[in-house]
Amino acid sequence: MNIIIIVAIATILILTHVFKISSIELWSLMIGLLVVSIVSSLFSVAAANRPTQDLLNAIIHISGEPTATPPPNPNDKRYAGTGFQAALQTLYELASHDKAIPETSTVSETTSIIESALNQTTSGLVVLDHDRNIAYSNHAAPVHIDQNNKKSLTLLFNGTDTLDAWLDTCEKESVHAEHIWTRIGDKLPEEEDRHLFDVIASYEKGTKSETVITLIDRTDIYNVNEQELDFIAFAAHELRGPITVIRGYLDVLEDELSDVLKDDQHELFRRLTVSANRLSGYINNILNTSRYDRRHLSVHMSEESLASVYAIIGDDMSLRAKAQHRLLSVSFPADLPTIAADPASLSEVLGNLIDNAIKYSNEGGAINVTAEVKGDFVEIDVEDHGIGMPGNVVGNLFQKFYRSHRSRETVAGTGIGLYISKAIVESHGGSISVRSEEGKGSTFSAFIPIYATVADKLQASDNSNQGLIEHGDGWIKNHSMYRG
Amino acid sequence: MAIHTILCIEDDRFIGEMYVRSLKKAGYEVDWVVDGNDGLITARNKSYDLMLLDVMLPERRGTEILDALRGGAQDLIPNTKVIVLTNFEQDDESRISMQKHADAYLIKAEITPKRLIEIIHQLDAA
Repeated sequence: MNIIIIVAIATILILTHVFKISSIELWSLMIGLLVVSIVSSLFSVAAANRPTQDLLNAIIHISGEPTATPPPNPNDKRYAGTGFQAALQTLYELASHDKAIPETSTVSETTSIIESALNQTTSGLVVLDHDRNIAYSNHAAPVHIDQNNKKSLTLLFNGTDTLDAWLDTCEKESVHAEHIWTRIGDKLPEEEDRHLFDVIASYEKGTKSETVITLIDRTDIYNVNEQELDFIAFAAHELRGPITVIRGYLDVLEDELSDVLKDDQHELFRRLTVSANRLSGYINNILNTSRYDRRHLSVHMSEESLASVYAIIGDDMSLRAKAQHRLLSVSFPADLPTIAADPASLSEVLGNLIDNAIKYSNEGGAINVTAEVKGDFVEIDVEDHGIGMPGNVVGNLFQKFYRSHRSRETVAGTGIGLYISKAIVESHGGSISVRSEEGKGSTFSAFIPIYATVADKLQASDNSNQGLIEHGDGWIKNHSMYRG
Repeated sequence: MAIHTILCIEDDRFIGEMYVRSLKKAGYEVDWVVDGNDGLITARNKSYDLMLLDVMLPERRGTEILDALRGGAQDLIPNTKVIVLTNFEQDDESRISMQKHADAYLIKAEITPKRLIEIIHQLDAA
């Protein structure tokens, strides 16, 4: 191209007779022009090539091929006016999109797998934000959506031990906390399609998912237990009917026949009465045990004097001791402070302890029931001078169905009396213990809180044991994990 | 006002007869009905000083009877004292809601007629 132009210029110059074809000036001009044009075209080629080269470099960089050249800088001054800056920028942007796109697709894939898994599981998962709004809930979670599209949990917590109450405490006191509730229903017992959950909440202050709640559907297990409870309640009803009649008519008859009965016949009547009374006591033990094992046992405490609690069973115990030829002596100090007690339950405990004392002592043996103040508690002692126990037996004594090897052979029993007594005493916020020496006898001690020491807690919790249980080392707190 | 007239709503014949016999012997005037519907009708037709109310009753449960009589805005038996007498182990909620409307709540197997009369005397004194 350059050569054609130069030749054309030379031809014009020759034709216009400016230069002769043989003149040195013409040739030197032509050579000069040639050199200038070659040099200038070299520059223009380089300039024209640069964007292509940079484009190539940019692509090499984007594709991730190893290269020594630095990636072209779109902010380079050279590109400013040419529009190549925009082109390069677009390229880089596209490339970064290209990189991001495969990543998001993996994340969303994982998210969708997790989400479908969460919706597939029978366990509920609920995430609460800082304001306790439901940020996420899966299908199994018992969540209600109201007209304003606001989600809320439909769990019915027992008493004051609620999620909200726990979160209140967490917000005040904790950075990280965990709590477990068992046997929490999402509907009332009579309602259809009711589910029972174990609820596990974990709290982490300040995070996006501040509270994570996992709900394990235990409906199958707990429903069976509910049915068992129903069965036991109905069975007890059936058993109590005849006992009512036997006790009632014995009472009536003994009264009406008192003039004609001879001494030993009175004694026979007494044995009948004692036996019928014991039956009714055992039914209470079975019912209470069943309730306790399902954590349905609640005691409703009020201010009581120990004497008035004992009076519920006093006549029965005297009669029982007399019929079995034991010397029962009961003496409580007149100035004993009042206790916080559920009279019916605590009288059952005393009945169980005295019943055991009678069972495991000998004819004519003395049984002493006494009480004294021990710190914040009233200690009630039931002491016998019977067969006693070796140390290795004592540790197992309060376990369900436990019977010592020897007592299994010699003394009848179900092995739930002490188990349920311990449960009842502990649900009073108290404790029970035993001292025993083989061949010399045993002393069972029940510690029941003095009313004045727990009055405010009781009043705050509507006289149920909730307040005490939560603050003391009571049985619900300690046992709920592995019971049920 | 001393308790004199008693309505006993009890479906178990042995238990019902036992209470009626003892209460009559003790000088009370006793009417005895065996099913829940009759119980509710009788309680509404005549004013008794005391009602002995079983829980597990045919036709209408004791809980329903008590609810019908005392659960509304108006107490339909303002001059009657109520002793719930049951052998059925109710759940806490039902028991507490019955106790609210009753003067006493007793397990039948735990008391004898003699003890029941003592309790009635106590109610009289209160």
